[in-house]
Formats: sequence, structure tokens, C-alpha cells
Amino acid sequence: MPRRHLIIGGGTAGMNAMRTIREEEREASEITLVSAEKPYSRMVLPYYLDRSIAESHVFTASAALLAQWKVKTHVGRRATGLDVKTSVCTLDDGTRIEYDDCLVATGSSPVRAPVPGADGPNVHSFWTLDECRGVIASIKHGSHVVMVGAGFISFTILNSILALGAKLTIVELAPRILPRMVDDAGAKVVEDWLEAHGVTIRTNVKLTRIEGARGKKRLKFASGADLVCDVVIMATGIKTNLDWLKDAGVRINRGIVVDDHLRSSVPTVYAGGDVAEGRDLVSGEPAVHAIEPTAQEHGRVVAANMAGRDVAYKGSLIINIVEVCHLDAASFGAWDDARAEVISGVKRDRSAYRKLLFTGDRLTGAIIIGRSGDVWTTNDVGMLKGLVQTGVPLGRFKEYLKSHPFDVKTAYIAAGTAGTLLPETVLGRPSKAPGETPVAV
Amino acid sequence: MKVLKITPERCTGCLRCEIACSYMQVGAFQPAKSVIRVSPFEGHTSYAPYTCTQCAEGWCMTACPVGAITINVAGAKDVLDDRCVGCKLCTVACPYGTMFYDPSTRKAFKCNLCGGDPACAHACPTAAIEYDEVPTADWLHDFARERASHVLVVNGGRR
Repeated sequence: MPRRHLIIGGGTAGMNAMRTIREEEREASEITLVSAEKPYSRMVLPYYLDRSIAESHVFTASAALLAQWKVKTHVGRRATGLDVKTSVCTLDDGTRIEYDDCLVATGSSPVRAPVPGADGPNVHSFWTLDECRGVIASIKHGSHVVMVGAGFISFTILNSILALGAKLTIVELAPRILPRMVDDAGAKVVEDWLEAHGVTIRTNVKLTRIEGARGKKRLKFASGADLVCDVVIMATGIKTNLDWLKDAGVRINRGIVVDDHLRSSVPTVYAGGDVAEGRDLVSGEPAVHAIEPTAQEHGRVVAANMAGRDVAYKGSLIINIVEVCHLDAASFGAWDDARAEVISGVKRDRSAYRKLLFTGDRLTGAIIIGRSGDVWTTNDVGMLKGLVQTGVPLGRFKEYLKSHPFDVKTAYIAAGTAGTLLPETVLGRPSKAPGETPVAV
Repeated sequence: MKVLKITPERCTGCLRCEIACSYMQVGAFQPAKSVIRVSPFEGHTSYAPYTCTQCAEGWCMTACPVGAITINVAGAKDVLDDRCVGCKLCTVACPYGTMFYDPSTRKAFKCNLCGGDPACAHACPTAAIEYDEVPTADWLHDFARERASHVLVVNGGRR
């Protein structure tokens, strides 16, 4: 039984892993955490940005909690190398940590568009807590903010920027917004909604340079007029933090290649979250899913296996949801599968859109857009997730769903989706509440 | 643990459960704020209430990035309002469609079994909703398969 567990990365996967080790183990083991930052949740930074929560609310583990869990911490340190033959991890201050097994969960970093001026003053990324603080310090009531990139990260902070009283322009290289989250028709619904709510959007524009302009920023493009603003936020993608591991002998493709127990090519090295290339639940193919729920599930499954259980992981489901100006947009699974049978429906007057993708008589992907205040939007969001997650055979209710894409509930219930879900758990046992984690005897 | 046992054949569609639930949850008689929802079948001749099963996984609870969903004394998954930031991850993680979001408070809300004394079960005049010590189950499947099939046959899947 491995006695010394090393958790590299204090994000969602790492935090869930530490908690689950303590839940699962019969005898106390050693846990060591290496984390570049004090653990916090990136998901909630947008709510700190608009000051609807205090900064203290973002942290996911106090020093007291980690002490209660008997975790040895190296916070503020980065791993710089892993010797998988001797099972030693080296940190940036020269510390060497011996382990019996380890979890690599070092997450991702933002990437800025490679243009002159991208690293200048008042040009920000929005990824870490430090970067969030930087954006808070620079946006004032009446500031003009330009966001470069119209992807998920931009959209998570859009409400906060507007709530701060700033004027917002979004520029995007692709022909449309949210290119990796919704399809063309869905993007059009969201784009129209945003423009009706005072957000300016310019798609199909290539940023070429950012210059200082008497205290302001001037953005130049390959075509079209310049933009002058006060603050630039770059949300132009992320890359996995794996440079430090590339010579360690762990097999890396788009991420660390892991098996159904989330073990890498080196059996004592597990990977989870953004850096792991594991099974996609719907396609069964290897994929990197840089989303919160995948990190959470990866962390828990890794930990159960570290604690000596044999827990196989079925795979992770791509799910995304973002609310902009009280319009919800969500997508699940293989929502862009060109081989699937597709039905879609739009209610322009209510800014509602549905796209359902079927493979045989199973729902394998979905997009849903609707007003947050529409009661049925949130019900259907969850039910569509349930249909894709279970892959329950719809039988003749497939035709019903195709002719009634806005009435998901009837088909969901009649297909027995809830009954399929009830016995399903990630760890093969009921989950414990966050505050109930015992400290092993 | 005691659960909400639903017997759909007994439901008359009176919506008293929704009225009672919304009053307990948000202090208003407003079905839109209820976390138990009565659905019509067979062209509004049959009805069945649907709500959270308090499932073993607790997809809402495990997905929450700030630990704002816990298990209360009744064994129900319950949202801690002062922790919830309104990120909606639970609404997309719950595969039953029983996590709700209130735009006016910017919080998620769900069935918490009223802390062990569920108002819907009290309000139901026909015992279609009972609070009982039984294993949770997919209470509506057989009922819905039959009643919804009727719609399929009569209207050829269209209406």
C-alpha cells in the first residue's frame, strides 16, 4: 500500500484528491501538497471581480483545514522535475520530495495573442487570483474595456465587467462568438442578445498590435478601424502546464495519457484535470477536458485508487454553462458531431435555442440557450445532461423529442432516465458532504 | 432515510404541493419558485409531481466549487446561501434537472426536504406525495411511459 502521496497542484483536482484520500483510507497515510498558489477556486473569481463576494470567499482550503487533514504543504512552490525511477519530485527551491505515488494536476495557463504590446501595461489575462486583482485595480466606472477573444473565459466575466459600470467591446478572430461552446445558430442568438444589452461585438478581426495612446490603449487590426480603450483583457486560450514534466518519461500527447484508473504510462504517476488526456464519456476517445467537473471527478477517482481501492472511471462529459445578461447558454457532450442526426429549434422572440444530436436512439450531444428567468430552462439543462450522461435508449421517445425539442421532460421521464441514474456514483458509494471529511485514525 | 415517495396515479394536478413548496422555499405562493414540479400527461388529463431524489452521488454537491452544498439533518442535499455564488455549475451537473436558479437572489436552490418535514407531503390531499422510510426510486417511469405513449399513438408524435 502506498504510504506517501504527493499532490502536485492545489486546484480542483488536487483539493478533491486530498479530501477523498482522507475519506477512503483505512490507515493514515502521508499527504504532501505542492501548490504554486494558496488553493482557491477559479470558478468564483468572476464573483470577486464584481465584488459580490469578498476575496476570502475564493479560497478552498485554509491553513487550518490542511493542518486538520494532516497535509504537509509547499505552498508558493512549483515542481520543476520528476524522477520517476527514484520517485523523487524536485521543487523550484531545490526541495526534494520522495513519494510512493503522485498526482500531477498542474492545470493550465492563459496564452496571449502573439502581437506587439500584448505584455504591456493595462493588458491583462484573467486566470489567476493575482490577475483578477490586477483587473479589479484597473477597471473604473465608465472605463472602456476591450476583451480579446469571445470564448468561455471572456463570457464568464462579461457580467462582472458590466456590473462595474464599464463599457465593453469584444473582438474575436473567428467568424462568431463562443466557437468552442455553441454552434453558428446558437452563437447568433447570444450575439443578438448581447448587442441588445449594449455590448459591442466585432468578429472576424485579427488583432495585429496594441499601442499606448496617451494613457489609453490603441488596438490595431489587420482590417477595420482601430479601437481605443482603457483596459484590454486577453482571453485567447490556455495551454497545459506540462513543460516541467516533458523529460520525465511520462507519456504525453495533448495531455498526460491516462488509463481508466487515471494512471499515466508510469504506474505510480496519476494525472487529473486540465493536464490529463483521459476517456471522453460519449465518444470513448482520449480527450483533454479542461473543465471544472472533469477535474473534480478525476481528483476523486485518483484518490480512491491511491487509497487502495480499485475504481475505474467511465470517462468525462463535456459540459459548459455560462450566463450573460440573464441569458443562459449551455452545451453537452458531442454537440458538434457532424455524423450525428440533428434536430434544432429556435424561438427568436424569447431568445431560446435548442439543438439535439442523436446517435441511433441515444442523445449524444445538446445545446440549450434560454433566458435564466424562464422556469423550464434550468430544468431542461439538467435533463439534457442526464440524457447525454446515461445514453439511455430513447426508443420511440426519440421521435417525440425530435418533434418537441422544447419538451424534454416527457421523453426524459418516459425513457426511465432517473432510474438509470439512481445507482450511479463516481466512487461506487454515496458522496460525503464537504464538511464531513474525517481525519484518518 | 425518509424520502418523498410519489404515487403518480393519485395526483389530481391540484398544484397544492407547488404552492406549499414555494411558500416554504421563498416565502411566496408562486409555483415558479417551487422545487417540486407537477407535469401534465395525456393532454392534461393526468399529472405527476417530480422532484429531487436526494441521489447517492449528489452531482450538485460534488460539482460545487465552493462547498456550498451540504447534507442536512434530514439527509437532503441543501444549498448554503451564504456560500453559494450563483455560478450555476450545479444546475448543469445535476442530471435529474432538479437544481434551480433564482435570478433575483443569484443563488441556486433545490429540494431540501424542508429539513425533515416536507410541506409538499403535508399539502397533498390525495397522498400522491408521502414522506416515508423507503428506498428512493424512479417513481414516474412506468406511469409516464404509458401515459406519454398514449400521446404518441393518438397524435403520431405531433401535436
